[in-house]
Amino acid sequence: MRWLRRLLHKSYVEAQLDNELRFHLEQQIADYVSAGMSPAEARRVALLEFGGLERVKEEVRDTKWEMHLDSLVRDFRFAIRTLRKDPRFSLVAILTLAFGISATTVMFSVVYNLRFDPFPYKGADRLATISIHSLKQTGDTDGDRDSFTMPEFLDYRQQNHVFEDMIGSYNDMVLFKKGDGTTMFGAAVVTANTFDFYGIPPLLGRGITLDDAKPDAPPVFVLNYKIWKSDFNADPSIVGKSFLVDGKQRTLVGVMPPRFQASSGRLWIPLGLRPNAEGANLVGNIPARLWAVGRLKPGTSFQAATAEFEALAKNHSKVYPKDYPEQFSVSVRSLMETSMGDFKFMLYALFGAVAILLLIACSNVANLLFAKATVREQEIAVRVSLGAPRSRLIRQLLLESFVLAGMACVVGCILAYFGLEGISATIPSDPLPDEAVIGLRPVVFLFALGIALFTTVICGLAPALHTLRGNLHERLMGSGKGVNASFRQGALRGALVVAQVALSVVLLAGTGLLTRSFMALTHIDLGFDPKPILFAELHVPEDRHQTPEEEKEFLRQVLLRVKALPGVNSATVALSLPPVWGIYSDATVPGKTHADPWFTRYDLCSEGFFETLGLHLQRGRVLSESEIASRSHVAVVNETLAKRFFPGEDPIGKRFKLNFLDEIPNAPHDAYFEVVGVVRDFGNWDVRKSPLPEALLPYTILASAQKRILLARTAVPPTSLLPAVRREVWAVDSNMAITSTGTLQELLSLFSYTQPRFDVITSGAFAGIGLLLVVIGIFSLMAYVVSLHTHEIGIRMALGATKGSILKIFLAKGLRLVAVGVAIGFLTSLALTRFLASQLWGISATDTLTLTSVMVIMVLFGAVACLVPARRAADVDPNVALRYE
Amino acid sequence: MDGKPEFLKGTLDLVILKIVALGPCHGYAIAQRLRQISKDYFQVHQGSLYPALHRLEDRGLLQADWRDTDTGREAKFYALTKKGQKHLETERFEWERLTEAVALILRAVE
Repeated sequence: MRWLRRLLHKSYVEAQLDNELRFHLEQQIADYVSAGMSPAEARRVALLEFGGLERVKEEVRDTKWEMHLDSLVRDFRFAIRTLRKDPRFSLVAILTLAFGISATTVMFSVVYNLRFDPFPYKGADRLATISIHSLKQTGDTDGDRDSFTMPEFLDYRQQNHVFEDMIGSYNDMVLFKKGDGTTMFGAAVVTANTFDFYGIPPLLGRGITLDDAKPDAPPVFVLNYKIWKSDFNADPSIVGKSFLVDGKQRTLVGVMPPRFQASSGRLWIPLGLRPNAEGANLVGNIPARLWAVGRLKPGTSFQAATAEFEALAKNHSKVYPKDYPEQFSVSVRSLMETSMGDFKFMLYALFGAVAILLLIACSNVANLLFAKATVREQEIAVRVSLGAPRSRLIRQLLLESFVLAGMACVVGCILAYFGLEGISATIPSDPLPDEAVIGLRPVVFLFALGIALFTTVICGLAPALHTLRGNLHERLMGSGKGVNASFRQGALRGALVVAQVALSVVLLAGTGLLTRSFMALTHIDLGFDPKPILFAELHVPEDRHQTPEEEKEFLRQVLLRVKALPGVNSATVALSLPPVWGIYSDATVPGKTHADPWFTRYDLCSEGFFETLGLHLQRGRVLSESEIASRSHVAVVNETLAKRFFPGEDPIGKRFKLNFLDEIPNAPHDAYFEVVGVVRDFGNWDVRKSPLPEALLPYTILASAQKRILLARTAVPPTSLLPAVRREVWAVDSNMAITSTGTLQELLSLFSYTQPRFDVITSGAFAGIGLLLVVIGIFSLMAYVVSLHTHEIGIRMALGATKGSILKIFLAKGLRLVAVGVAIGFLTSLALTRFLASQLWGISATDTLTLTSVMVIMVLFGAVACLVPARRAADVDPNVALRYE
Repeated sequence: MDGKPEFLKGTLDLVILKIVALGPCHGYAIAQRLRQISKDYFQVHQGSLYPALHRLEDRGLLQADWRDTDTGREAKFYALTKKGQKHLETERFEWERLTEAVALILRAVE
């Protein structure tokens, strides 16, 4: 502990050292005096021999590492002092780095949270899903599945040797009676070991246990956090109460914490693994199929599990050949790997973008440090000639950049906090696992710190080494304003700016492509305007509307009441939500034979459908009220259907059959529909693709449906009418569940725009910051170049150069760098943007217009950044410049 | 070093330890004795001597305490520790083997 004592009693230690060395000196002088020298002479000779008390002290100090620590602290203080002396430089450098660090940190936490820690469960990286793939080369995915019949599931669970445990579940919508109405929740019906399997303790009460699935167990359910908060005001007293769930009294036994989202359930219901056990069959007595998740035994690979299940499935397919495709493969994949689909590529692309941003920020700061180092050449030269070791000077210069990076790290983390809030608000929730939470974690701060160290070395090392290279002697003789700033250094700094410009062009090109793709997507002509259209899904409880007349009457009354609401122009019922959801069938047209099935979308609607959506009638007429009432077999079709089913013919009066209707018990079987009208095509599925054939039939042909959708065109903001619509529906029947509601625009935005919008906003933010940094970079380089050449400009002007010619010289100097950067950036973009291709729609990854405009933008910004310093050069007063030294 | 040969790496430590082994003494005296015993061959500079002394002290081979000299002035006296004693013996043995070996080779070449 001697070092600690020495560190704490520094002055005492110093005094001792001083005393020891002085004693030596005194002895020497005394010896010389006794040898006959005069005291003054003796002192002079002894001092000369000793060679500087301080230097010896310094060398003694160097033997002790804690003294290194001490000098480090001193260097540190010196660094802060130096940076404070030039606050403008420090501020620019810190903010620049902070932007880079915060953007990188934000993207890192997103990637980390989503890719490496999406699930809070026990052994999350060993969770695996099983899927079966058909090997038939038909291109369709028929026969591919990741759900299993109950006997299959039980066999797999018992016979495999690779899983510690395995759970099964399926999702179902359940009606939930609550207060004055009924709502519908997505329930997950789960095997009773699920809660044990995931190993997350409940927030309140208990999870589902094995006892809950026993034949005579009282019915229970568990609620998820989100619903508990939104629908029950986070009331802890509801645990233990009984609720009517799908017509059955169930006791709520527990509430789970926010990140527990097993099988995406809003509530969880236990599943008995017996034939005909509760929940084992769906409506219509269809046996439920279970989606399975297993946890690999530690040390077991996914390949080994795949091989095991391949063998199990082969055996099973011999017993149940109907359940399997002729030839198939099985894959066992990590739940983490499969949870995000293609979106992870976008995340990686954005992480790449952010890395580019960080590099731009680093090169900017490196450039600033170069400029500073040049100005400090003389100071450094003096210090070296006074005996400062080079290693010490390098350390000190690096320390300076470390202080910059450290402060930038602190500012960056604060910015990252806000950046994360922003990104969490825009990130599309659809492709992400429900369990994933995006937040700052300790590992993120570690990452930020690592980045800070990285930037220190990247920014600081080159300028530091550079400062100490070359002939110091010459510099000492120089003016101290970097007159000798070597050509090579100029080239290096120019190269940095070129690199920045090139990187920025790459970022801009990526953003430009994503933006254009997004714009193309949002400007698709759907054939109708989704903004003023309100929708509400009505769910009919099983015990309601037993007869077709009852249902018809109910819908008629609802439509009458809704149409009568002030602000509603027209209303209709339907079964689908154009352009997002729809139902399909293959069709038969009399007299036409074809090898492939002819698929069409269809909808069951009332006469108001055409007016509500605002569809344009092209031929014939729309459905009439009396046809709806009389369940006539008539149809209005879209252009695509007319063209595909009746090419070159007049479709009016032609007939076709929807084969799928034959399979629905309460639909008309073997029914041919006569075409009475043709409407213009409208977006009826994926908006990025051309419309599918569509047939619009009277809703009354289906005697009763579990779900109907109410659509209303409004003259006022649609959602403001929601409470009124709800009231009117419940006024007719309070048992009707109104589930999802909103406008078609919201739906479209949610399903088709969320991810592209996220891509555009995030990459746009990065590209914007990048461009700003590059402008700062060019500006600071040019300003520095001008200040170096002030003397030269003075001479030129004295010799008769005009302001214009000086302006031209410096503008050309800057623009040359920008041009080279743009050219390199253009070529790099061509090579890199293809990685974005999967995220683009409607334009190619090398879209000429986008790339050209990006280059023009860069050149313009570059020119502006050069112009200010160039004008300053032109405004130099030769009288002042020539005297300036 | 004014034409005088520089210390072979490590030999300064050995020499200092040997001198201190003769009896505790302060830095100046060590420098003087070094010169006298080596007949002016070794002229160790303070910039090497004191760092070496402090290093040896830190390694626990020497221990130091402040005592009055004959003239009544307080000075820092260095003495050999047990560890230093042992170190000196092994180092001395190593040194003798080394010089012997070098001498053998030199003779053989002649």
